[in-house]
Amino acid sequence: MNKLTLTLGVAVFAVLGTAAQAADIYTPGEPFRGDFKNFARVFLKTHCFDCHDNDTTKGDLSLEDLGPVDETSAAVWKSIWAQVTLQEMPPKKKSQPDIIDRLRFSDWIVRELQRVMKDKGGFHAHLDPKKGNYVAHDLLFGPLPKGIRLAPTSSPARIWRLTPQEHITRLNELINTEPQYDPLKPGLRTRGDVVPTNHGGELKLYFGTDRIIRWEGGTVAYATAVKSVPVVLSSARKHGLENYPDFYTVNSSEATQILGKAEDILRYMAYGPLSLANPEQITDDPKTYDKVKPSGDLRGLPIAIVYSTKIARPMTPIHDLMKEPGVTNERLRTAVNFLFEELTFRPPTTEESNDYLQIVKDSIDKVGKEKGVFMGLSAVSLDRDALFRPELVESGRPDQHGRVMLQDWELGLAVNHALSYIKPDEQLRKVIVEGRMRTRKDVEREVTRMLADDSIRKPRVLRFFRDFFDYDLGGYICKDAKALGETGVSTRGTSHYRAMFDATASTDRLIELIVQKDKDVLKELLTTQQIVATRNDNTYFGRKNSPEERKAALAVKRKADAEQAKKDAAEVEALEKEVAQLEAMLKAEPKNNRTKKSLNHKTKSLTALKKRIANGKKRRRDNTNVNVTSANLAGPKIHARVSRRSFGNGSMNPNRILATAPKGQRMGILTHPSWLVSHSDAMDNHAILRGRWIREKLLGGGIPDVPITVDAMLPDEPQNTLRERMRVTKKTYCWTCHRKMDPLGLPFEMYNHAGLYRKTELNKPVDTTGEIIDSGDPALDGKVANAIEMIERLAESKKPEQVFVRYAFRFWMGRNETLNDAPVLQDAYHAYRNNGGSIKSLLISLVTSDAFLYRKAERGAK
Amino acid sequence: MLINRRKMLQGMAAAAVATPLLPSLVQAATGKGKPKRIIFFLQNQGFDPKTCIPAGMTNSGSLAKAKLPEPIEALEPYKERLHIINGLHGMHTSPSHSAFFGALGGYRGSDGVPPSGPTIDYELSRVLPETLLPHLCIGMDSTENMTTKPTVANLSASGAGQPIFMHSNPNHLYQMLYGGISQGEIRKQHEARSSMFDRIEQLAAIKGGALHGVNKQRYGQYVQGFNDINGLRERLGKVAGHLRKFAPKVDERYTKPEFETDWHDVLLDLGISALKSGITSVLTIGSGRGEIFGAWKGLGVEQQGHNLGHIKQPNNPIWIKIRQYNSRMLVKLMQELDSVPEGSGTMMDNTLIVYTSNNADYQHTSGKNWPVMLLGNYDGAFKTGCFTQLDGKRPINALYTSILRASGVEVDRFNMSEKMAARFDSSTGPLKEVLA
Repeated sequence: MNKLTLTLGVAVFAVLGTAAQAADIYTPGEPFRGDFKNFARVFLKTHCFDCHDNDTTKGDLSLEDLGPVDETSAAVWKSIWAQVTLQEMPPKKKSQPDIIDRLRFSDWIVRELQRVMKDKGGFHAHLDPKKGNYVAHDLLFGPLPKGIRLAPTSSPARIWRLTPQEHITRLNELINTEPQYDPLKPGLRTRGDVVPTNHGGELKLYFGTDRIIRWEGGTVAYATAVKSVPVVLSSARKHGLENYPDFYTVNSSEATQILGKAEDILRYMAYGPLSLANPEQITDDPKTYDKVKPSGDLRGLPIAIVYSTKIARPMTPIHDLMKEPGVTNERLRTAVNFLFEELTFRPPTTEESNDYLQIVKDSIDKVGKEKGVFMGLSAVSLDRDALFRPELVESGRPDQHGRVMLQDWELGLAVNHALSYIKPDEQLRKVIVEGRMRTRKDVEREVTRMLADDSIRKPRVLRFFRDFFDYDLGGYICKDAKALGETGVSTRGTSHYRAMFDATASTDRLIELIVQKDKDVLKELLTTQQIVATRNDNTYFGRKNSPEERKAALAVKRKADAEQAKKDAAEVEALEKEVAQLEAMLKAEPKNNRTKKSLNHKTKSLTALKKRIANGKKRRRDNTNVNVTSANLAGPKIHARVSRRSFGNGSMNPNRILATAPKGQRMGILTHPSWLVSHSDAMDNHAILRGRWIREKLLGGGIPDVPITVDAMLPDEPQNTLRERMRVTKKTYCWTCHRKMDPLGLPFEMYNHAGLYRKTELNKPVDTTGEIIDSGDPALDGKVANAIEMIERLAESKKPEQVFVRYAFRFWMGRNETLNDAPVLQDAYHAYRNNGGSIKSLLISLVTSDAFLYRKAERGAK
Repeated sequence: MLINRRKMLQGMAAAAVATPLLPSLVQAATGKGKPKRIIFFLQNQGFDPKTCIPAGMTNSGSLAKAKLPEPIEALEPYKERLHIINGLHGMHTSPSHSAFFGALGGYRGSDGVPPSGPTIDYELSRVLPETLLPHLCIGMDSTENMTTKPTVANLSASGAGQPIFMHSNPNHLYQMLYGGISQGEIRKQHEARSSMFDRIEQLAAIKGGALHGVNKQRYGQYVQGFNDINGLRERLGKVAGHLRKFAPKVDERYTKPEFETDWHDVLLDLGISALKSGITSVLTIGSGRGEIFGAWKGLGVEQQGHNLGHIKQPNNPIWIKIRQYNSRMLVKLMQELDSVPEGSGTMMDNTLIVYTSNNADYQHTSGKNWPVMLLGNYDGAFKTGCFTQLDGKRPINALYTSILRASGVEVDRFNMSEKMAARFDSSTGPLKEVLA
């Protein structure tokens, strides 16, 4: 067949194909020929004008004069898109558009908005993780109506910026040797775990803290004296999934900081604490430093720290390069190649290696070895692949759908990134280099291996749960001191915030335990009675006393105090009598040594007794909380992963116990203070936010954005309960959206805003009723008495599991699902369900799916 | 820290910006008044009002007949430009051991708490007339801290979780500002760093070649960042002739400081030169760098660090020395800005100096009282030559609102939601008592 015939043939086919498409078949993502006049306005006229024309302006909205999408009408069109896509409009009781028409209309608006907003920042709302639920659940998991033909799916070719956590963990590998996994203490921080946030919830990279044996000062002095570098990469995060490639890049301010900090890191790699301290400060016997250290108050100064001599950090070619005098090409290149792979997770190409080698050499030429090496090498930290991970499939052949499969390093690093924050392990690196990272089977083999090995840490899995549940925000929610005091928890200093950061680490560990068992993971998370607890959790998981209970507790305490005081007084009196007797005896016989000795002994005992009594009083005062009935948690010891010391006294502590919640008061993670406080505000619970969480994360619902004309604030009425104050959302205009959230959030009123269980609120019995409405599963809908009943019902239903799978898809693909992803979602769900609710099986299914493996370059790009 | 305002704004706009915890600023510079620059000077460990309020003055009034207390007596000849404000509060900033970002942010700070929004100095750098390097922050600390941690970020922020670093090594800062006209060692370093940056930009651009569409756009912002950094250097290079007039001389204090105050002095010189040469319009000076330590041995003060904050300041020789040192710096700022003609007067006419502490009135304070001194009338916006006693019910945010208003931004609040204001502000809008 000659070229001309072939071209004609293709052309005919294309025309036919388009014609068929335009007429009948809807394929998600395919362009559609329709404009405002012949399509959109027709749709509006048919389905909207009944209620939204100039005569009948339901909701104060008339669409009759609405023109094509342009800058001024964009906001209205966006609202229309949200309402129609979410199937809110037309209302259920009115006749509904054909499904394909609705899909086409929705697509059309998005395309128009993209076109109009192209030079004005672009339109990305449909890509926003918060709007992932805009794709109808039933179309993804149910049978597809006739006329919809799915295209084989893939994800767009892209570069994906590192998250702040990944970046810090990657840099941490250069200067800190984290402990190897110990199967006997599986809860301790291990190499490969994410760098934990510090005592204040900050994500920081610490230098040399693994070698500090002495410092001066109690609290802030330590934090100020040690060297630390805060995370540089930014992320916008209030709630939910935060890491989609579409939204992040690195700006000039961040780039400059990364470069500056890179030199510090390189210096530490070469010299260890010597880059931070004087040689005298590095000693195993602090007394030798005492002899030479400067006088005066050294608190907060780097010269207050004593480092041990034992080398803890990894010894690298950077160290070797600086240890030997002079430079050789070979040692320079080794250092460059080493650093490149550490920062990009792959070896440099010859060109890359040469480029960076030249930069280092040029720098050395200008400013000498000492300054030049660090300056030149720091350039590697700004390589594109040190900050972004490419999935560009530049050298691959597209299949008949235009998709290219990830290969070799891109595939290997994508698989690595699915689970890990550190570079590929030996085995994975080997198979990549040997060309055995090319097929679906290759991926399945490696992922299965990694999932089965607990010593290979998988912080990405934990991150998914943090993004899904949002239980890690509690410490960042500022609490009004008075309002916090009323919950019954301590308001002393930062103790509440510390407790919240401890709670995050505890919840992490609990999730790990459940993931490890890997049975009915979602259900377990929602219904577990287990708690990973600190001492403080006796309060946080306790019950807030009603006024009568408080009175009773106070009476008990007073009685106990009185009895103890009596006992103490009697003891003191007895001892004082003995002392008096001995003193008299001594006066009579001043030379009697035995008497003297006895007197000394008894006097000391008396002083000690008085001190003990004073301490006991203080301890009882501090530990007896009459406002709270303690949870009295008990159980075997367990560890949580926390940062190394970042503060003097009161730094993070890994010790925990694995306890059981007080009977009948809790039901899974949604009733843990970590989650509850993360969904609260300065003064009270945030029932709307909690309701929204349930609606979106478990019921797959979508809520349109708050209209900008709305001043969304509850009245400030401290004498009314939250439920009463939320009456304002019942107004017609508000209720259409709030009915989807409020009844799901109010059942949590059985806890106060610090997460304590309560039966009364403002001295009245607390109303904890709610309702599940429009879940899409008739077995789910209906009233609930409280959060426990609601969660139990949700945990039994299939729908939350499916929605959970959608979120997992988004997290691991880094994008919202489209209809074309339905087969992937269904496979993933079946993998989860048919393996007893196994998240490992879910992951394997997702990571071996077309959506994960295939990439498509942007249309018209090549 | 090389901060390019425009690109940073664009970079952040493209990144998904967090739903602000605090109401965002309406950037409505109406062009009212023509102030051009502002200096924030924060002395750590607290600002005891007795060290600045003339003895016996309890009510608002003129300073004309009053005598300034010893710690600030250097300001006596400049009394008619001085406005002492007492009775603002900062209780919501948790200032007990320094409010950190909360001092200039007007929100909760305290050790370990990341900034929850932009600080006032950064916001002003966005609305004042554009300069090459809109916002410069310098930090003064003990010698050990300045050498081992030449940059720290404790006081200023460009947004939630986005701290801005203070420069403490005058050699690095000189290189950044005047590398193009430098000599000797500094020049060599400048050239090495410049050519490295150029090369990084080239390599980054090459790696962008394969990208398309949105990927290209996003990565393009990254590459553009280098363009900006290098561009700033180029632009500074282009005005080298102009800068030469203002660049300070690099002497032994830079390279072999005997005391930490040597570096404090030359850092101030660099800050002043950046203002005079027009490179920057907002200068933030952190004396003590926002923490509860610091040293001033060069003044003969042997005590250092945390203990300084536990000394009662009034009539204490140590604090008299420190406050006098601050005052001498303030005088130098005013004198230098007075020496440069601008408009129908001098640079100082269009400048405001805000002197206060990041620790309110003293260490372990509740923040009930937060004294502030203003120097200059900011192109006629503020009353001067007087003492104003407020009732303790308006927060420091209200002062910042006043400054924004005077800079042409029509706002009623700064970094304070209505909900917070219900608890922490008895009124709304600027401080009428201090505006002219």
